[in-house]
Amino acid sequence: MGKKTISYAKWGYIFSIPFVVAFALFTLYPIIYTVFIAFTDLKGANNTTPHLLTGDLLKNFKDVMATQQFKISFGNTWKIWMMNFIPQMGLALILTAWFTDNRSKIKGQGLFKVAFYMPNIITAATVAIMFNSFFGYPIGPVNDILMRFHIVDTAQNFLIKKSNGQGIVAFIQFWMWFGYTMITLISGVIGIDPSIFEAAEMDGANRIQTFLFVTIPCIRSILLFSLVTSLIGGLNMFDIPYLFLKGGPDNATLTTNVFIYNQAFSGAYLYNRAAAASLIMLLIIVFFSSILFYVMRDRDAAKAKKLRKQAIKQAKLKAKEVA
Amino acid sequence: MAEVTAPAKVKKPSAINKRKNPIYMAFIYVICIFLLIICLFPFWLLLVNATRSSIEIQTHAVALIPSKYLQNNMNVFKGKDFNVLVGFKNSLIISASATILAVYFSSLTAYALTAYEWKLRDGFFGFIMGVMMIPGQVTAIGFYQMCYKLHLTNNQLMLILPSIAAPMMVFFMRQYLQASLSMEIVESARVDGAGEFYTFNMIVLPIMKPAMATQAIFSFVGAWNNLFTPMILLTKNEYKTMPVMVSLLKGDIYRTEYGAIYLGLFLTVLPLIIIYLLLARYIVAGVALGAVKG
Amino acid sequence: MKKFVAGMLCFCMMAAVATACSDNNTGDSNATTAATQGNDGGNVDETTANPEDEGKTVINLYAFTEEVPTMVQCYLDTHPDFAAQYTINKTVIPTTDGQYQPALDQALLNGGADAPDMYVCEEAFIIKYTQGDMSSYAAPYADLGIDIDAAIEEAQIAPYTIDCGTNPDGDVVALGYQTTGGAFIYRRSIANDVFGTDDPEAIAEQIGAGSNSWDAFWDTADELASNDIAIVSSIGDMWNVVKHQPGTSSWVVDDALNIDPNRESFLDLAKTLIDNGYCNDTSAWQDAWFADMAGIGEKPVFGFFGPAWLVNYTIAPHAGGTEAPEDGDFTQGNTYGDWAVCQSPVGFFWGGSWVLGNTNSDKKEAVGQIIEWITLDCSTTGLQYYWANGMINTDHYAEDGLQPEGTYTSDSVASAVVMAMSDGSSDFLAGQNMFEVFTPANEFASGEGMTQYDESINSEWQNQVGYYAHGEKDRDAAIADFETFVSENLGL
Repeated sequence: MGKKTISYAKWGYIFSIPFVVAFALFTLYPIIYTVFIAFTDLKGANNTTPHLLTGDLLKNFKDVMATQQFKISFGNTWKIWMMNFIPQMGLALILTAWFTDNRSKIKGQGLFKVAFYMPNIITAATVAIMFNSFFGYPIGPVNDILMRFHIVDTAQNFLIKKSNGQGIVAFIQFWMWFGYTMITLISGVIGIDPSIFEAAEMDGANRIQTFLFVTIPCIRSILLFSLVTSLIGGLNMFDIPYLFLKGGPDNATLTTNVFIYNQAFSGAYLYNRAAAASLIMLLIIVFFSSILFYVMRDRDAAKAKKLRKQAIKQAKLKAKEVA
Repeated sequence: MAEVTAPAKVKKPSAINKRKNPIYMAFIYVICIFLLIICLFPFWLLLVNATRSSIEIQTHAVALIPSKYLQNNMNVFKGKDFNVLVGFKNSLIISASATILAVYFSSLTAYALTAYEWKLRDGFFGFIMGVMMIPGQVTAIGFYQMCYKLHLTNNQLMLILPSIAAPMMVFFMRQYLQASLSMEIVESARVDGAGEFYTFNMIVLPIMKPAMATQAIFSFVGAWNNLFTPMILLTKNEYKTMPVMVSLLKGDIYRTEYGAIYLGLFLTVLPLIIIYLLLARYIVAGVALGAVKG
Repeated sequence: MKKFVAGMLCFCMMAAVATACSDNNTGDSNATTAATQGNDGGNVDETTANPEDEGKTVINLYAFTEEVPTMVQCYLDTHPDFAAQYTINKTVIPTTDGQYQPALDQALLNGGADAPDMYVCEEAFIIKYTQGDMSSYAAPYADLGIDIDAAIEEAQIAPYTIDCGTNPDGDVVALGYQTTGGAFIYRRSIANDVFGTDDPEAIAEQIGAGSNSWDAFWDTADELASNDIAIVSSIGDMWNVVKHQPGTSSWVVDDALNIDPNRESFLDLAKTLIDNGYCNDTSAWQDAWFADMAGIGEKPVFGFFGPAWLVNYTIAPHAGGTEAPEDGDFTQGNTYGDWAVCQSPVGFFWGGSWVLGNTNSDKKEAVGQIIEWITLDCSTTGLQYYWANGMINTDHYAEDGLQPEGTYTSDSVASAVVMAMSDGSSDFLAGQNMFEVFTPANEFASGEGMTQYDESINSEWQNQVGYYAHGEKDRDAAIADFETFVSENLGL
């Protein structure tokens, strides 16, 4: 059995070839370029000959770390991400529980499932324009409604307050992505063998128990996917903060990626610093993703892997013996 | 769809559970209907604004009642280079090819990462994850530079072929396979003398249908809505995609035809809704349908 | 059910496509007819695919709107000899999504057969291409075969457009066609009620026109405020003026941020506007701003600062009517015919496009001929005459071609000679010839003291001033935060 598995190893390489080739052709150069220019003096729109920094090779990284805006944007990014991630994941899990519960068949759940993903179909630019017009000041729909119901007496300039800016951006992110997360989780549940649920029901588990102790463990790998991609997406958040308020009001929605964009495109074209900031973010994301991977690791699978490795070692030893 | 799943459960204690909690069920419906409204509202807005004149939109950005300028907005397309058919065709070519390639090759790569034991496997997976985490703003510059240097602009393949290497989709497919692929199926196929490639195509792919459907939707939506790359790389009129054409309607800030833009946005989103509804049955289906039985 | 919905949507879409296409087809066939009449085969965008164009030299044109491509098409149509040798390959990428500059930069940097021979820039980034990072690609007009000094002299080109279009060596590398010198656009009915006259010269004096100071303007604002009228709609309306105030030094001097007193004074101007209720505190391009044009905002607004395009393309369509109200009452949401223009206290310009030739182009002669026709030809067959007299319209040119004078709205142009020959009067301005005001306004504006960083610096300065004016932070904090933003984002 062990021997058989080993002999199939080459297929792992073969099936990876298309990915590797496409990657090498289209994505490798841009990445190497980014890493390279982080250590150069490349700035200015018309600069085509970057030179490696002499003296302090890490100057760009130090420059970025020294800027106030990077610190502010780093804090904002985490704050906005948390503000949208927690409700988003919570709601997605609850909806998944409702929609995959065999016992309380929700009528029209097909419609709900389909509709909840819909905000994700509209481009971020359109969403930004829409929300901007909702909060128009002194005349705008939100103000009209609030004043009609006498919730406020005079029109409010919502988008000039820092906390509003962050809250609205977090809400937009939540609204755009909860359906996406829900669908991802549901697709994980659909992949579970239904006999497991039947067994749980037979054993008398109630809804909550079934979800917590049967569904969640079964979709752990998909949940890990959702957590990791949400983390990556959250720390790389760009579209909505940039298109909606350009990082404002007063840097309240300045995320690290908006900062990186500003470094590169504010007029001075500091490509080198932008690249350095990108690499710093990459390290941070790798670090936190690794933690997630570690926390969510499949302990049984880890054990199995150890065993497999031992088997491979033994096989190798055997092969040597044969030789 | 409901009929398919119904026969499975007719008896047992679940019946008691079901009747139990009308308040709980009412709560669920209230939440769901509220979410339904806030999710569909923007589409109504798009539709309404597509029928309004630019002046009406500028004076009142949000309205709930359609106006009578649909034909006028349609006429605006005439003066601009807005050819809906060409836009649809280009967007469809790029999005459909990119999606098919991404879904197929990501499944293949994920299968390689799950089903086989090979030395560089964990390293390769880590590498894929790393690629996924790089912020895109700077690498985009490198990609544009590469395309212009090699004079590969106005070449649709530059928007299609890179999707063969789609890290996030590989990640998803791998996670999915880890949960739902049992190696016994693969082993039994091998015993039957099936080749590895055949096994993947004929046995593993069908198992992955729900995952492929969700990822196909995400990928298609992403490719269809992609604005920046086609805008910079496909500059000739005969290659312009729908979002690029809509963006062109904006033109000068002082002469923006908002009604036509909303009509364009609505036309852009319409095919997405259709594709989505076609693929949605895999998501909407009850738990039993996608079951992977050994 | 789902299939039914999908089917319905499919049907809707096909219907929409069919309608749009039939429109497009008629559009195209009309275009072809128009073009054939103009002695040329085919539409601009189809030229490359058109067999008639085989063997012709291709001129690549990069632009961010259809405006210049339409003009070039018009040049081909009216110059058959030229059209027999050359064909245009246009690339239009809008600036609104921030992608025009990256694409243009890459195309200029990497050269080759697809590199632009001609390109168009707007106010926001013209300096980058004439005096900044990308200036080495801009060919001096003299190198394009244009006798530049004589031509400028003859056409009397607006000086600020030359300022912006001159490279560090003192060569003119870019000029425009439309001019955007600004004036004060005010409501006659309010002027009559408060000041007893609506005469542009009297109002000009009232607000201190041409004084390069705001003193008289504040007095006027105060008088209006006592009648519960705002003098302008938003803070931003005044920023457009202060931004290019003549005599203002540039934001960046010797690689360091420099806050000119004129620009710093915008803090006080904004605070005064808000604290005294001299404005309605709107934002440009939003609902409330447009409402003020129809006179239905929070308070009546006396006027707007802006160039000719603001009159024609923005205020007129939002005035709430297409002709003056019959009862002469302009307070009921229709202000059509209630407007007039007079000179501004401080000279300024707002917007505008410049045309450039690529120094690496091997068709400089041909490019020069087109550019000269667009930017310097002051005859009645030059583009500027067509533009100033409403004979050409970007949206309708493909169908209608050139039209008789007065068919479309007329716009202010760079050549004072052409302006003098043209009629800028309209019912919207109650018969006033706006060119009489905009010609001196073009002279009055200054294009000095600009840098390639202005776009981001200006927008951050406006933001910080806004926070200060609304009491979100104090003056020193606003300036300090602004300085941090600029130095960190521009690496100064």
